[in-house]
Amino acid sequence: MSKDRKAGMKLSRDKNTAMVIDSILMSVRSLVGNPVRAFLTVLGIMIGVAAVIALVALGNGAKSTVADSLQTLGSNLLIVYSGEPRGSSLVRRNTTNITPVLSQEDLDSTRQLSGGLISMAAPESSASVQLKVNNLNMAATAIGTDVYYPEVRNFFPVYGRFFDQEEYASRSLVAVIGIEVYRQLFPSGEDPLGQKVRINGIGFEIVGIMQEKGNSSQDSSILIPMSAFQRSISGEADYAIINIQAANSEVMRDAQLWVESVLLQNHGIASMDFADFYIANQLDILATAQGVTGTFTVLLAGIAAISLLVGGIGIMNIMLVSVTERTREIGVRMALGARPGDVLLQFLIESIILSIAGGIAGVLIGLLASWLAVHVGNMAAVPDYFSVLLAFGFSLATGLFFGGYPAWRASRLDPIEALRYE
Amino acid sequence: MIELSNIRKFYQMGPDTIHALDDVSLRIDEGDFVSIIGPSGSGKSTLMNLIGCLDTPSSGTYVLDGMPVEKLSRNQLAEVRNRSIGFVFQTFNLLPRLSALENVEVPLVYAGVDRRHRRALAQQMLEKVGLSDRGRHLPNELSGGQRQRVAIARALAGRPAVLLADEPTGALDTRTGEEIMALFAELHKEGTTIVLVTHDPVLADKAPRIIRLKDGRIVGVEDFTLGHQVSGSTARVAAASLSAATAQKELVS
Ligand SMILES: Nc1ncnc2c1ncn2[C@@H]1O[C@H](COP(=O)(O)OP(=O)(O)OP(=O)(O)O)[C@@H](O)[C@H]1O
Ligand SMILES: [Mg+2]
Repeated sequence: MSKDRKAGMKLSRDKNTAMVIDSILMSVRSLVGNPVRAFLTVLGIMIGVAAVIALVALGNGAKSTVADSLQTLGSNLLIVYSGEPRGSSLVRRNTTNITPVLSQEDLDSTRQLSGGLISMAAPESSASVQLKVNNLNMAATAIGTDVYYPEVRNFFPVYGRFFDQEEYASRSLVAVIGIEVYRQLFPSGEDPLGQKVRINGIGFEIVGIMQEKGNSSQDSSILIPMSAFQRSISGEADYAIINIQAANSEVMRDAQLWVESVLLQNHGIASMDFADFYIANQLDILATAQGVTGTFTVLLAGIAAISLLVGGIGIMNIMLVSVTERTREIGVRMALGARPGDVLLQFLIESIILSIAGGIAGVLIGLLASWLAVHVGNMAAVPDYFSVLLAFGFSLATGLFFGGYPAWRASRLDPIEALRYE
Repeated sequence: MIELSNIRKFYQMGPDTIHALDDVSLRIDEGDFVSIIGPSGSGKSTLMNLIGCLDTPSSGTYVLDGMPVEKLSRNQLAEVRNRSIGFVFQTFNLLPRLSALENVEVPLVYAGVDRRHRRALAQQMLEKVGLSDRGRHLPNELSGGQRQRVAIARALAGRPAVLLADEPTGALDTRTGEEIMALFAELHKEGTTIVLVTHDPVLADKAPRIIRLKDGRIVGVEDFTLGHQVSGSTARVAAASLSAATAQKELVS
């Protein structure tokens, strides 16, 4: 007898591994054996994890959409606006009624003296105008600019052509129309090239149609030579805006500082604090926009974390019920030699298995939701694999934490009381 | 091997104190087959639970295999239950979600026996109780008698020093009860120490030694082995407390 017992002692090193494997198999079995209950138990965790993943994916999607749409403005773009800087809003929505202060001299100096920081610049002024073709009318924005505009703003004709240097120099009355203008003024789809469009009553010959940009301000505009714009529409010699393309993204900050100093000098102003112009840097716009969506992401993740917490409480609740329900089983196990630690381990593993199952289901649902958002909902969603890991890890921790108390309660049961439990 | 001295167990029920066990002294040696008989509420289960280290006495000492049990920690008690004691319950207490074979494996899991070994041992135990073909069945797919056999196999799996059975036939019909008793007799013949609690005098008579309990006291000890076994008889005489010995005389006469 005593020899047998000593042999048993020797094996006790493998005991914990054996126990863990057994507990895992058993809890998997009870999960499969009672799928509805298991599902309801892990529902909270599942929703929490899925929400974290899907919402972070949507947040990321929003970020990259903002980045993309900013990129369509043009690349490495600096925009010099007339007027005093207005708080934090870097992009001016309405540029049609500002007093232009940027001169030909300003434009020339940015073009000529940049020392390689700037590759191109184009002036821009705009006005709200009434367009008329035959007897169709529409309100639009007329933009006066020069031949570098398409390149700087990454905005090209899809049909016909842009006006050329000669037409610019000779103040020709030619126009390139936005796609929306074409659609409204030529509803039957006829060829607009060579046709006359009246801008505030003055006839311009259409030479091209611009590509679709997806934003109404560009698609509903009509582009004409700055020289013609100044003479026929605004009567102003100065420009509202100078669009500048920096040589590359690394020098944007330097280019901005350089342009600032040149324009301050031209305008005879001591510092940017008193300037009558300001410069929007594409990188700043991007950072601001991403900052906003970043806050949004954090907020969503917070909401999701709360639902994980609720899910954890759900697990705790069910585990407490389970411990009570299985009091007798615990008593039997203790009578057969289970130590408090063995019981603790068993219930802990059970709640961890539950939360892992919930976590896996949540990850799958979250990824599926992101996929559906992209392929069915036409939204931008970019799953972040770090958030997948994070959510999964968090669900595991939830299982450990919220399963801990019920498991501890189970392990503290008195064997005889547990066996007597009805 | 089992030595109880002046064991008392009280339960405080409001103003009343219930003496479930009152000054019980008892000794059981390796290889004994003892039955404990007594009316309902006489303290049989209480005594069994104490012997099985599931419960602790209010006073008195219990020495198991030379170890004073009250000195053991929770973990050590678990180990004792695992290695030294095999429990058979009146209501079987099989784990409902485990198959017969897996039920038999449970004590081996806690003993740290590796998987393959465990399977083989458990299968061997099922064979011993005549259920080698029922290993895959769940408890609710077995008859009462079969369930109790599985429970006995489980109690034996860890090769415990003593098998404790609290009314193992209480939930079974007479015929099945007799089969279970035959199994106990056979196990005893193979050398297993058995302590059996029962209501039924007919079943109790199958054991060579009978301890009668009433109101938490030992009121009689009958030892049919005394006449036959000369060696060790002195030890056995010391088994019962003084009062019990008197009662025994009355019973014999
Ligand atoms: N947990 C408890 N709390 C209070 N009293 C108890 C408790 N357990 C047992 N008792 C009392 O102790 C006495 C002995 O009970 P025990 O269960 O040992 O009797 P028994 O001999 O096994 O009876 P039966 O043959 O009916 O199983 C009874 O009077 C019972 O009421
Ligand atoms: Mg009883």
